Amino acid sequence: METYQIYTLTSAVLFVIGIGGIFASKHFIKKIIATMIMGGGVFLTFVSLAERDALAFADPVPHALVITGIVVAVASAAFALALARRIYQLTGEESFTDDK
Amino acid sequence: MSVLIDIILAILAVYLALQSLLAPRLTQSVFLFFAFGLALALAWIRLGAVDVAITEAAIAAGFLGVLFLDALRDFSPRGSEKKENLEAVQNALPKNNTKSLLLPGMALMLGLGLFLLIALEAVWKIPDGGGLTAAAEALLPESGVEHPVTAVLLNFRAYDTWLEIGVILLGLLAVFAVGGIKIYRKPVMATQDPLLRQVILFFTPVLFLFGAFLLYIGKTGPGGAFQAAVLWGAIGILLHLGGRPVFSMIPRWLGQLLLTIGLGFFLILGFLFIAGGATLFEYPPAHAGVLILIVETMAAISIAAALTAIFANLNQMNEGPNEIESTN
Repeated sequence: METYQIYTLTSAVLFVIGIGGIFASKHFIKKIIATMIMGGGVFLTFVSLAERDALAFADPVPHALVITGIVVAVASAAFALALARRIYQLTGEESFTDDK
Repeated sequence: MSVLIDIILAILAVYLALQSLLAPRLTQSVFLFFAFGLALALAWIRLGAVDVAITEAAIAAGFLGVLFLDALRDFSPRGSEKKENLEAVQNALPKNNTKSLLLPGMALMLGLGLFLLIALEAVWKIPDGGGLTAAAEALLPESGVEHPVTAVLLNFRAYDTWLEIGVILLGLLAVFAVGGIKIYRKPVMATQDPLLRQVILFFTPVLFLFGAFLLYIGKTGPGGAFQAAVLWGAIGILLHLGGRPVFSMIPRWLGQLLLTIGLGFFLILGFLFIAGGATLFEYPPAHAGVLILIVETMAAISIAAALTAIFANLNQMNEGPNEIESTN
């Protein structure tokens, strides 16, 4: 088994864990963490395929995409966090609840 | 042997991801997410992506972890009180919802299981197209830098990087829009804690130098604008925590200039290239190295300023109502 194969399989598992977390967890912060884990799975696919296509060095294009992606993911997570805190400030809710 | 390390690392990453979602307390979740980010960074080193590893450890684990911890401070104390109330209400209600929750739970598990199988098959069978390694390798001498990832980020795909700086700025504006702009009104009050003072005195120059080193070394090896920007952003966060919020100490126009200089300089440079007869972001090969270094420096300053501002704004977000409550 090659190194990249181990990590592509891991990336699929991480992606599914992230999706499950988005549905199953209640708290805003946990939902944000779940999206970040999902993103981690996607990035892992990219980087492991970059390793598969390595010649003298690993494929630099997916690396650049992933670096860009991480920064964008963090910026959007910061925005999500701001929204979550604002909702908590205004309503005192820390999760989406419909039973009132 | 190396396969064994990879398998252990993969299991560790999956375990930490699961645990961070299943942990009963929010604090545990956040710390396990920290650990997950670092495990992922190790996996990236194993895959030969050192640039990605530095970015992951610095931004995704470090900076985002700081934001989460800062959020926890507001969510946890009042939250626990609330939860007790909620439990009391739930205990008072007749418990007829266990049965209705069972069915969606089963369906979710089944769906996730199926999806996992599909995803595993999909990543297993991704066709081998050969990638863009050969193309990047052939054009590397013309890019002005020796490190392929930097060449892609700032030369071949400079357009993406330029837009990305814009996305960070957009994120900052969105955070401002949600939280309200209170950032410039905070009174400046230096910390009284001698330890924190010494830490700031010691780490500010070290972080600055290390950031500059990473910025410069990006030309030949792993490193570059984003990694440097996080270290410089850490200076801003440290100063903010030490009671010296950078954005309320410097004049407002200077803050705005710092935030936009990366995006603006990149764009002006692109227009100059167009005026010179080339396409957008097509560096003249003779000066590409110097131009890339200047662009990277500007981008790093802007990103560092944006990260500091995001932290500062989120940090002050929940202080507003507390102050109002205390004055009332």
